[in-house]
Amino acid sequence: MVSDSISAVPIPSAANTKNPGKKKRTNRSAKLKQYKIDARREQWLSQGVVKSKGCKDGVDDDVVHAPPPSVNHGKHSLEPLNTRREGEEDDGLIHHDSDSESPTNCPAGVLCGNDSGTNFTGSSSGGSSSSSSSSSSGGCCSGNITEEEGEEEEEEGEDDDDGCLDDWEAMADALAADDKHENPCSDSPPVVLPREGSNLESPNSKPESSRLVPWGSGSSRAWRADDAFRPQSLPNLSKQHSMPNPDRRCVGGVPWARVSTPSSCPICCEDLDLTDTSFLPCFCGFRLCLFCHKRILEEDGRCPGCRKPYECEPVETEASVHGGSLTLRLARSCSMIERS
Amino acid sequence: MATNTIHGNNESAQPNNIASSKQPLPPAKTVDSQSVLRRLQSELMALMMSGDSGISAFPEEDNIFFWKGTITGSKDTVFEGTEYKLSLSFPNDYPFKPPKVKFETTCFHPNVDVHGNICLDILQDKWSSAYDVRTILISIQSLLGEPNISSPLNPQAAQLWSNQEEYRKMVEKLYKSGN
Repeated sequence: MVSDSISAVPIPSAANTKNPGKKKRTNRSAKLKQYKIDARREQWLSQGVVKSKGCKDGVDDDVVHAPPPSVNHGKHSLEPLNTRREGEEDDGLIHHDSDSESPTNCPAGVLCGNDSGTNFTGSSSGGSSSSSSSSSSGGCCSGNITEEEGEEEEEEGEDDDDGCLDDWEAMADALAADDKHENPCSDSPPVVLPREGSNLESPNSKPESSRLVPWGSGSSRAWRADDAFRPQSLPNLSKQHSMPNPDRRCVGGVPWARVSTPSSCPICCEDLDLTDTSFLPCFCGFRLCLFCHKRILEEDGRCPGCRKPYECEPVETEASVHGGSLTLRLARSCSMIERS
Repeated sequence: MATNTIHGNNESAQPNNIASSKQPLPPAKTVDSQSVLRRLQSELMALMMSGDSGISAFPEEDNIFFWKGTITGSKDTVFEGTEYKLSLSFPNDYPFKPPKVKFETTCFHPNVDVHGNICLDILQDKWSSAYDVRTILISIQSLLGEPNISSPLNPQAAQLWSNQEEYRKMVEKLYKSGN
């Protein structure tokens, strides 16, 4: 079935003859998982190249509309393709599918390694792989290769995603990220466009994949302005980050602090780090770095801001011993107590 | 230890600094010089950017620990229209210790002796490391118009202060003879 569908592709190139060999090699040395993944990736890539060539030569329409159909085909390839594969034994129809649809799938799916990529491999080599991992029944395709492919798929799914078979999409994303690193030269241009489409499509097609998308896309690329998730999550995060600062200013709303929360120590002019800026040793709000404070304590022990002796030394010493976050809390509580 | 790690990014000399500051007299004062240098450079920048009228200061050519400053007598005081040069000498533990400030120009003032030494509390026991050259010069400028008669370094000036006209004449006379 594999060789059939591939040979039906308009342009039989060296990659075509290479594919079955690779598959056999994969089957033989299927012990090492990483090796299998690499072989699969190469196979996808080579097929992608072939099919995209085929697109250019044979099916011109698909080339023009390459990015939008990838979205549609990503959906189609999930189930309809598989069911059609399993249901219809007619070679002509299948070949027709692999000619017209899979070429558009391959730049999108194979190179970006998304769900359509998995499905495409399934469509050319065997539908059971994608159907088994995407939890539709399936798995009854004939041929050793397809069954083993399915098993491999399951193994990989288990290994990569801790037994969560539904994470095939995330795994595919991870593979794509590896692909990008390892083969940056040949396929970087096609990767960009299809990935947009597939990522836009993913939240619609699979509800449970929405929790996966931030992880996968975060590892592979930054948020895009047109990304569906960006407006909801990112602004909230930035608000959370910006919240503590005014909060702290309100707590330490004392003359020195209100004039300016200095970025550098007024005594030694060194930059204040987080611990220093959260360090409020005196009622008057005069801030200084821990080093200068320590030194002043050893000399006359009076606050440079108000000339009054520093009072709550035990608390400060304790605060300065601990780490940053704890110091922050202690300093805040200290200032709260002082004010009340 | 916490301060050690916190200031580990400053200079490698800082941990030594902490160790030395634990002793009553820091033996290696040169360890401080880097931070003093930074502080003085920052002060110079702030002073030049502040644009305060009537005060100015600038380091000597080859020694940033020694500055020459000038203040002009404030308006509506007996010192109006006069300008006084001062010298500022910064110790190695500045700003934890105050600089030594002296009048280089003869200044007929109750709190300035004939050698130009100034009796000003913030330059002695009321010194704070939060003060800087700018606040020192502003304080001296205001001291000119508002002397502390009760503890004079120059009794003659303190005695004459009540007669502002005579005092003004004396100031002008000494100022011209001094220059």
